[in-house]
Amino acid sequence: MPELPISEEFKLDVLKEMGNIGAGNATTALSTLLNYERVNMHVPEVDLCPLVDIPDLMGGAEKSVIGIYIRVFSEVSFYAVFLIDFESAQTLVASLTGQDHPVMEEMGRSVLLEVANIVTASYLNALSHLTNLTFLPEPPLLVVDMAGAILGTVLAETSVAEDYILVLKTAFITATGNIEGNFLIIPDQNTLDIIVRMLVDGACQ
Amino acid sequence: MSEQIRVKIADYAVKKEEGMLITVGLGSCVGVALYDSFAKVAGLAHILLSDSALFKTPSNPAKFADTAIPLLLEQMISIGAKPTRLKAKIAGGSQLFSFERSMTSVGEKNICAVRNVLAILRIPITGEEVGGSVGRTMKLFVQHGKVIISTVGSEEREI
Repeated sequence: MPELPISEEFKLDVLKEMGNIGAGNATTALSTLLNYERVNMHVPEVDLCPLVDIPDLMGGAEKSVIGIYIRVFSEVSFYAVFLIDFESAQTLVASLTGQDHPVMEEMGRSVLLEVANIVTASYLNALSHLTNLTFLPEPPLLVVDMAGAILGTVLAETSVAEDYILVLKTAFITATGNIEGNFLIIPDQNTLDIIVRMLVDGACQ
Repeated sequence: MSEQIRVKIADYAVKKEEGMLITVGLGSCVGVALYDSFAKVAGLAHILLSDSALFKTPSNPAKFADTAIPLLLEQMISIGAKPTRLKAKIAGGSQLFSFERSMTSVGEKNICAVRNVLAILRIPITGEEVGGSVGRTMKLFVQHGKVIISTVGSEEREI
C-alpha cells in the first residue's frame, strides 16, 4: 500500500483522539480508585506549544505544586507528568486511605505515586491497544516545587532541540470539585511520527 | 515602581541603569546573571541545555550555554558594557527528580558548561547557588547588580 501523505493538521487530530481515549481510560481508573466518584475530564488539548511558554502551562511558573514524573521507554519514548496542587493531593490521599496522612510524608507520597502509576498504566494500556506498541513506564518520581522548575526540568530531560513542543494536556476534576489536576504527555519528536504512523495504518486496515 | 523584565526559559534579556531582571523556576536549567557595575548594565539568561553542538538543528541560541552566554555578552556590549568589567553570578542546575541512574544529571552538565564558557570568556563568577534538588527563582537588580535567590518554603537570600 502506498504511504499516505500525512498533514500536520491530521497528525494533531490523530493525537487528540489518542489523548481522548488514553485520558478517558485514565480518568475511569481514577474514578474507580475514588469509589466510583464521578471524575470529569476536559477534552485533551493537543498543542504545538512554544517552548518558552511551557513552564507557564499550569497557571504560572512560580506556582508551587506537586509533580509526578514518569518516563516511558520502549520503541517510542515520552514523558508523562502529573501536576496537582497541595489541597487536591491532600484530599486524594485522604479519600484513598480514609486517613489524613500528610502528603509530604512517606505514606502520603506513596499513595500519590501509586495513583500516578495506576492512572498512567491505564492511559498506556489504551494507547497500546490502539498502536500495537509496548510501553514500559519507569517507576514514578515525585517532587514538590515551582511548576516552572518541574516543567523546565522535564524539557531539559527530553533534550529538545525544537522551539515548539507537542504537548497533550488533560485537566480533570472530581464531581465535588475537591480534586483537580493536570496530566501532561510530552512525546519525543520521533515518537510522534511512529505513533501517528501506527494509528493511521491501523485505521486503514 | 521601576520596570521588571521576565526572562522565560531558553531566553535572555539585558537592561541598563534601573529595574529588575527576573527568571522564575530554574530547575535543572541554569540562570546566568552578568553585571557591569561601572556602566550599570545587567544581563540575565535562562539556559536549558549545555551544548548546541549535540544537536543537528540548534534553532534558538538562547537555549544552550555555549551560544547563550556569548549572545548575552554581545547584547550587553551593544548597550555599553565592557567585557573586562563583567562579573557573573549563577544559580540553578539542580536535580529535582532523583533518578536511580549513575549518569551525570542534566543540571550538573549545565553548571559545568556554564563554568567553562565563562572561563573561556574570562568572566569571574562572584556568587553562586547551584546543585541540590530545589527549583529557584533568580532576581537581578540592575541598579546595583545584587542577585536574590528564592526557593519554595525558604527565605530570600543574596548570592
